[in-house]
Amino acid sequence: MFRRSGKAGNYAYSVARVKAKKSLLMKEDDYNKMLMMSLPEISRFISETGYQKEMAELAGRIQGIDLVEHATYSNMARVFSSILQASQGELYDMVAAYLEKWDIWNLKVIVRGKSYGVDAESIREDLVPAGSLKTESLEKLISLESEEDVLTSYGKMESVNIPAEAVAEYKATGSLAAVEDFLDRNYYQKLLASIDPSSRPTRLFQDYIRKEIDLLNLQTILKLKAEGIYGEDVVKYIVPGGKQIDRKLATQLANAESLSAAAADLTQLDFYEDIKDALESETNSLRDIVAGLKKYEMKEAKTFSHLYPLSVIPIIDYMIHKENEVNNIRIIARGLESGIALETIKGLLVI
Amino acid sequence: MVDVSTGTGLIAIGAGLAVGLTGLGAGMAEKDVGAAAVGAITEDPGLFGKAMIFMVLPETIVIFGLVIAILGIFVMNV
Repeated sequence: MFRRSGKAGNYAYSVARVKAKKSLLMKEDDYNKMLMMSLPEISRFISETGYQKEMAELAGRIQGIDLVEHATYSNMARVFSSILQASQGELYDMVAAYLEKWDIWNLKVIVRGKSYGVDAESIREDLVPAGSLKTESLEKLISLESEEDVLTSYGKMESVNIPAEAVAEYKATGSLAAVEDFLDRNYYQKLLASIDPSSRPTRLFQDYIRKEIDLLNLQTILKLKAEGIYGEDVVKYIVPGGKQIDRKLATQLANAESLSAAAADLTQLDFYEDIKDALESETNSLRDIVAGLKKYEMKEAKTFSHLYPLSVIPIIDYMIHKENEVNNIRIIARGLESGIALETIKGLLVI
Repeated sequence: MVDVSTGTGLIAIGAGLAVGLTGLGAGMAEKDVGAAAVGAITEDPGLFGKAMIFMVLPETIVIFGLVIAILGIFVMNV
């Protein structure tokens, strides 16, 4: 009742801020309006709906589609950082662990950029400093000479030991797969460990993360299957900790000969209904399945967001919706720029 | 020292408890309401008026306590 220790989170303050931010997110009508617009009109529209600061800052340097992409990403980074800064105690731990995925994202951008010889300025523009690594730390990583130094330095900053074999594999083959796989596993392990499942809302959050792992694993399996990779080669990329797809089911799915054969094993899963049409369609397109999975993820987030107002759940729910909004804006802008049919763009949007 | 009867003393303690405990209750309620109000105002300063109303709502509990205390001291203590 009188718990005032440093561990207790400041839920009331953070949730009120997040709820106020959530009311400013775009609605379905806004996306429909944007689909009817040209790129300059989209730029103006998003300037009026919460992205004005970033659009004004970047408009002098970049234009067109790049402006929309960078402004949306830097806005998301600013918003997520402000949520992290406003959180305290156990809430901070959970939000920081959740946002670490952006640190991993930034690391991938830096290492990939360096390996392709991209200049520092272009790397900087693709960064999303939404995690615990701030601009100064990221600058330090960019300034390092070799990719191995970047990986070692990142390991020190985030207290993770990137295995020497993974770094050696990168050196030998130039493939980041082993490092990425390790970082993803480590991210989910740390995130699950940061959640204390003693209360109902944190258990719901944990469940949500475990379902996210399921979706990630399923995407990995389907993507590798589309490339003709089966069996043990697939299973080694499976992230442990999933809720429904355990190692046995993952192996079963990985060994299935085609997407249609795998479909039989998927019928028992919660999200089967959402990807059923995409799986059964003639095109059997991976893109539709992934869009279906994304829609399921959003549906899940929506169902639990109203349950516990004073918990971590509304905050995570907001971050999921904000990320989705940014993705939707980018899909619309990119799609219109490339002249893709409106119906196809609409199918890719997660609303 | 003021010479009072046991009954009067008990009424005085009751009045003190009525105000004190309701004050404590209001404080506990305002902890979260206040934090949420400040959070909402940070995002949108236009919410100040509404937030203020929510902020003072728990204060009504103290008024109930005060009424009971006054009743105890001035009405029952005849």
